Amino acid sequence: MRGVRQALLLVVGLMAPLSGVAATPLVVEAALDRQVVEPLLEAFAQAHPEIDLIFRDRSTLEVDALIEDADPAPDVVISSAMPWQMDRVNQGYARRLDTPQARDWPEWAKWRNEVFGFTFEPIVMAYRLDLSRHMLPPKTHADLHALLTAERDTLRGRVTTYSPSRSGVGYTLFQQDARYTPRFWDLVAAMGEAEASLEANTRAMLQGLSEGRYWLGYNLLGSYAMVWAQQHPEVVVQVPEDYALVMMRMAFIHRDAPHPRAAEAFLDFLLGREGQRVLAGQTPLFSVRPDVIGPYTAQRLRDQVGDRLYPIPLNASLLAFVDPQRRDAFLRRWRREFAR
Amino acid sequence: MIEVDGTLKARLAVWLLVTVSGLGALLMLEANFATRRAAERAYDSQLEAAALTIAEAVQWQEGRPVVEVPAAALQILATRHQERVFYAVLDSDGRRISANLDLPIPPAARELAAREPVWRDTHHGGSGWRLHGREHDSAGWESQDPVQVWVGHTLSGRQALAGELFQRTVIRFLAMVLLAGLLMLLAMRVALRPMRRLRHLLRRREADDMRPLDARVPEELREMAETLDTLFARQRESRDALLRFTADASHQLKTPLAGLQSTSELALQSREPDEWRRALAAVHDGTRRTSRLAGQLLSLARLRHVSDGSELRPLDLVALLRETVLDWAEREVAADHDLGLAELPSTPVLVRGEPWALRELLGNLIDNALRYTPPGSEITLGLETPGDGAVLYIEDDGPGVAPEVRERLLRPFERGGRQDTHGSGLGLAIVDSIARRHDARLKVSDRQPRGLRIDLRFPPVAGEGA
Repeated sequence: MRGVRQALLLVVGLMAPLSGVAATPLVVEAALDRQVVEPLLEAFAQAHPEIDLIFRDRSTLEVDALIEDADPAPDVVISSAMPWQMDRVNQGYARRLDTPQARDWPEWAKWRNEVFGFTFEPIVMAYRLDLSRHMLPPKTHADLHALLTAERDTLRGRVTTYSPSRSGVGYTLFQQDARYTPRFWDLVAAMGEAEASLEANTRAMLQGLSEGRYWLGYNLLGSYAMVWAQQHPEVVVQVPEDYALVMMRMAFIHRDAPHPRAAEAFLDFLLGREGQRVLAGQTPLFSVRPDVIGPYTAQRLRDQVGDRLYPIPLNASLLAFVDPQRRDAFLRRWRREFAR
Repeated sequence: MIEVDGTLKARLAVWLLVTVSGLGALLMLEANFATRRAAERAYDSQLEAAALTIAEAVQWQEGRPVVEVPAAALQILATRHQERVFYAVLDSDGRRISANLDLPIPPAARELAAREPVWRDTHHGGSGWRLHGREHDSAGWESQDPVQVWVGHTLSGRQALAGELFQRTVIRFLAMVLLAGLLMLLAMRVALRPMRRLRHLLRRREADDMRPLDARVPEELREMAETLDTLFARQRESRDALLRFTADASHQLKTPLAGLQSTSELALQSREPDEWRRALAAVHDGTRRTSRLAGQLLSLARLRHVSDGSELRPLDLVALLRETVLDWAEREVAADHDLGLAELPSTPVLVRGEPWALRELLGNLIDNALRYTPPGSEITLGLETPGDGAVLYIEDDGPGVAPEVRERLLRPFERGGRQDTHGSGLGLAIVDSIARRHDARLKVSDRQPRGLRIDLRFPPVAGEGA
């Protein structure tokens, strides 16, 4: 009797996701390359066959606009534009997540149990092998500044970095750089003198490096760069040895999520051991959890580059970066220094 | 009957509980306000610090105020409770130079903030907010308009802090109550110890031990101990009286019985029928007196022991007096005396009483007067009605009684120092007992120029049934 019933349950259980009758849709709007995150999505689909995950990869600006404008609202929002995510959460667009995973998440990587930084991506420099044939590659920010000054003519037009006006991530990184040292502006001026090219994303910078247009890139997302370097041996990734910023992708459940249950399941998976294990083993996004083992974990990164990792703090101070006047002032200064 | 009505401990505990809960409720109310105020103050100062930090960053550029919001100010605003934060910098016309939320600031609040720092509680986007606004004088090269800095955050930190403080107060209070309760129990034990001692003392006492208590008691128990002592004293007296009465009664009965015995023995030794007849007459006389004595003893005992007063009813003292005196005047014993009535009131004088007892009383008074006055004496009974009471009196012109004996007159077997009569000495004792039953006061006094007067003052009849 019991055996029959169990078999029956098993059949029903197997059929439900196939038939699609019970499948709950789940809309995730993300500023995160689908290619990079694919293993994670597959693992989630396997763990939750009852949820029909719709993952839309967009730019940070699009994602930010969708939070306010989309109707119906997305269930989960993921973005690397940390200050903008923070601003939306402060505006009350996030729904509190009250699960063991959320509670146990490290304090420095979450805010109000509403938004969670679930990756740990170092910000790196990358250079082409050609560079090392002509000069000693930079290992620190000071090295970079010295190199840009000394080899200005060789490097002219062959340096690339983020455009602070076109990329939210780039802007955030420069803001954070400027918070640490005023000598950052010397670096900006040096990059301006070297006529650095400003790109909107890391992929474009990596592409330029591979194609030989650029020799040196500054402030690239380590997660993308490291994978790229594995496939393109002409590109070398250098984690700065004086200090390396660390960026986190921030995820939250939308206040008006049409499928809050599914959204909670997704975030739980993202923060849980299984999700983080996939993150650490099969994506270069780096796991935050200290109890996860894999090639890409915050712990392993710390072991490699020491304690010079400076995660962009996930707290209210981020809100200052999106203040229009502050942003205007910063960009004005940037342009002034860059054009000096 | 002893009815157990709870315990002292329970009563004290209940009162303690009532007091403590009453005080506790007040204390909690006060603590609630106080902790909330404390939390308000603590977090308001954070708001103030953030506002000052932002105000510090205000600068004039090309005639316009510009502010680069310091990240630190926002962290101060957020506090460690990670509040949602709000800031706005307004120019002198109320326009927002810089702001992160469209949280409305009412014009009234703006005007007030122009004069002094303002604190406001408000609601926005489904949560409560605390706002703080202050005006900041800033001077530039072109213009010197003041700017207003408004900051605010959500309330979870305040609520958490207030809750925590309140909880601590409650815990302290509960601990205090618990401790006070325990101490109270201990104190009760100690305080009730004298009572326990007294109880042991009373329990250990022999049944016929009527000595005063020998115990150390606190002030509160002194009255009870004294009452107990008085009770013991009265019991002792009553027992002594009983013993004396029994002894006297036996003695009184023994004397005539001894007379009877000796008379009959003498008669038995004689062969003279005349002797026998005389002896028989003497025996007859003796038994009559003895039987009267026994009767009186019985009636006295009865009077002393049956005294619930339930049979008292209103009766006319005038009629009773007239009837009884006429009855006695016709008897042979009164033949040698001038027994008479004084002028009686024309209207009935009502007292509450038992007719048989009052008749017995009058009889005893008259009998006494006849016995203890020489033949030819004048005996007068009368009734006076001073005020609302009634005074019944009997007076004679006999030898009277010496003042020093007068007090003992009411005791049984007391003959007023006279051995020359056949009286039993019980008459006045019976009268006294009956008078007591009727709440009447008996007074023995001298009559002028000579003789004795006995007054019986009855209490007035309460209005009903007259």
